[in-house]
Amino acid sequence: MKNAISKSRLNNLINTLRISPLKLKIGLSILLLLSFIALLEPMISSYVLAGRSTSGTFMPLLPLSLEHPLGTDNFGRDVLATVIAGLRNSLLIGFLAGLISMFVAIITGFTAGYKGGKTDQLVTATTDALLVLPTLPIFLVIVYYTKIADVWTMSVILAVFSWAWPMRTVRAQVLSLKERPFIDLAKITGLNDFEIMFKEILPNFLPYLGVGFANSVLGALLAETGLRLLGLGPAQMITLGVLIQTYLAFGLISLRAYHVILSPIIVVVLLFVSLNLINVGLDEQFNPRLKEITGI
Amino acid sequence: MKNAKEIFKNPVLLCVMKRFARYIITVFLAFTISFFFFRSIPGNPIRRFLEVLRYRYGIYSTEDQVLIAEYERIFGLEGDLFTQYLNYMRELLLNWNMGPSYVNFPTPSQVLIMRALPWTIGLLALATIIAWALGNVLGSVAGWKRGSKIDEVLTPIALVTSQIPYYILALLLVLVFGYYLGVLPTRGAFDPRATNLMEFIWSVIVHGTLPALSIVIVAACGWTISMRSLLVSVLREDYILFARAKGLKDGYIWRKYALRNVLLPQVTGLAMSLGFVVNGTYIVEYLFTYPGIGRLFVTALNLLDYNTVQGIVLTSIVSVLTAMLLIDLIYPLVDPRIKALGR
Repeated sequence: MKNAISKSRLNNLINTLRISPLKLKIGLSILLLLSFIALLEPMISSYVLAGRSTSGTFMPLLPLSLEHPLGTDNFGRDVLATVIAGLRNSLLIGFLAGLISMFVAIITGFTAGYKGGKTDQLVTATTDALLVLPTLPIFLVIVYYTKIADVWTMSVILAVFSWAWPMRTVRAQVLSLKERPFIDLAKITGLNDFEIMFKEILPNFLPYLGVGFANSVLGALLAETGLRLLGLGPAQMITLGVLIQTYLAFGLISLRAYHVILSPIIVVVLLFVSLNLINVGLDEQFNPRLKEITGI
Repeated sequence: MKNAKEIFKNPVLLCVMKRFARYIITVFLAFTISFFFFRSIPGNPIRRFLEVLRYRYGIYSTEDQVLIAEYERIFGLEGDLFTQYLNYMRELLLNWNMGPSYVNFPTPSQVLIMRALPWTIGLLALATIIAWALGNVLGSVAGWKRGSKIDEVLTPIALVTSQIPYYILALLLVLVFGYYLGVLPTRGAFDPRATNLMEFIWSVIVHGTLPALSIVIVAACGWTISMRSLLVSVLREDYILFARAKGLKDGYIWRKYALRNVLLPQVTGLAMSLGFVVNGTYIVEYLFTYPGIGRLFVTALNLLDYNTVQGIVLTSIVSVLTAMLLIDLIYPLVDPRIKALGR
């Protein structure tokens, strides 16, 4: 019985994806491919390094070859393996920050929207204040002075600045959903607030959560990469931004090692484009009116 | 001559004054929060700064403490936190003084900020306005001729490009125009070798082209998308259908029926972006070593320059809040629907 339900859910998901807009399909494919490559990172790097230690083992700035598909960089690292390692960390930070900020957004948005009254006013005022703050400079100051060095802390700090927008979406959705008859029915049935929130209301706006999540990941990646381009943040944690910054700082442009510097840049562009396509695609899929208006 | 009571009875004036009071309170709160935020950062930068001096010049005498005390006095770090706060606010509000900077020691921070501000505003405000105009034209074409070849090519490109970060596009532009083609300068804001005014102005334009272009391209694509979806939804309205049925010319419908409705949200958007100009594109400025606010901020951050960093954050907050105030005050004048409520 349970199996049958989960199977029909899977079929549902597959059906939804099959009829989804092309943008969503392309975006998801790129993102899944990138995530898959990032997950394979240990295997790929051990294959590319061929049993040698991590860095500085090859001649610097070798051209493209079969042995090194993207050549080597100024430290003698294989560019492909290094970019994949950077991609893995960037994705990890982005997804963690996205998850944390969505978690905070759901909790605060639900509480504000469902409880209303004084609680609502307090939470809304706080988010409004957060939205006015110039986040980038404050973020730079925190990262510079706290000297954080691990993925977790970085993600938490990024999440602090990105939960305000999704919180507003969640709150607006809860405000409109809680007036529907099925919520009254659930109340009469004797479900408590918690059950109503997570069993009755939450499933109704999962697509919005998807959009919010993609947005948070985008924001986190934007801030993290920008921060790294300024040369801030822990150097031992390699992300795509760090790679671009080091290659710039070591003057690889003047050395005309375009393949080295372009590799991380292209991966960053792919990441941003795929996340944005997912965003727009989700919006269109679950907002048919919008699809009629903006559909291309 | 009216007396005070009558002035307060005027609802429009009362509304404006309430809004203005809220602005003042928000600015004040933002200043207070940011002051305590910056002071809660661990480590006393003055001591660190003096340790560097000590290390470099071997100052090891008992005069050390005197020196530290003197520097703490100059930088407004003496006494407890609350005294510091009162001193800072008094200096800021009465004398427009943000305290000395380390970036350029005896020069006060606000002078440095004022020196950097024109570059940032000149570059970014101009780029924002050009992008806005360009995006509106492109978006109108795509929206008006929805489903045409132009729309089918332009819209997906704009959709993808609008989400590429400014700084990534800046890097690509540097690679192509600065190094591969080698036609445009990639560092600084002007040519120091310029001998007369015309040469100087020309060098400013040439140096500003790449940083401005990186912002214009991305932002224009964003405006294109928003203009297109606004226009498409307006064109679906019944009054447009009616105007068409009456046999009005396309140009007339565009000017009298569509444009007015789509321009309003776009103008609001422009005002918001202009407000965010000051804290917009630190990284682009840094990449092009452009002598604006962003570059000053990064330099100050690296030198632990409290006063300058804090001053820049305050400038950003004030400019955003002021933009919001202006939007709220001007909106009733532009939007005929709100005007009725005020009267």
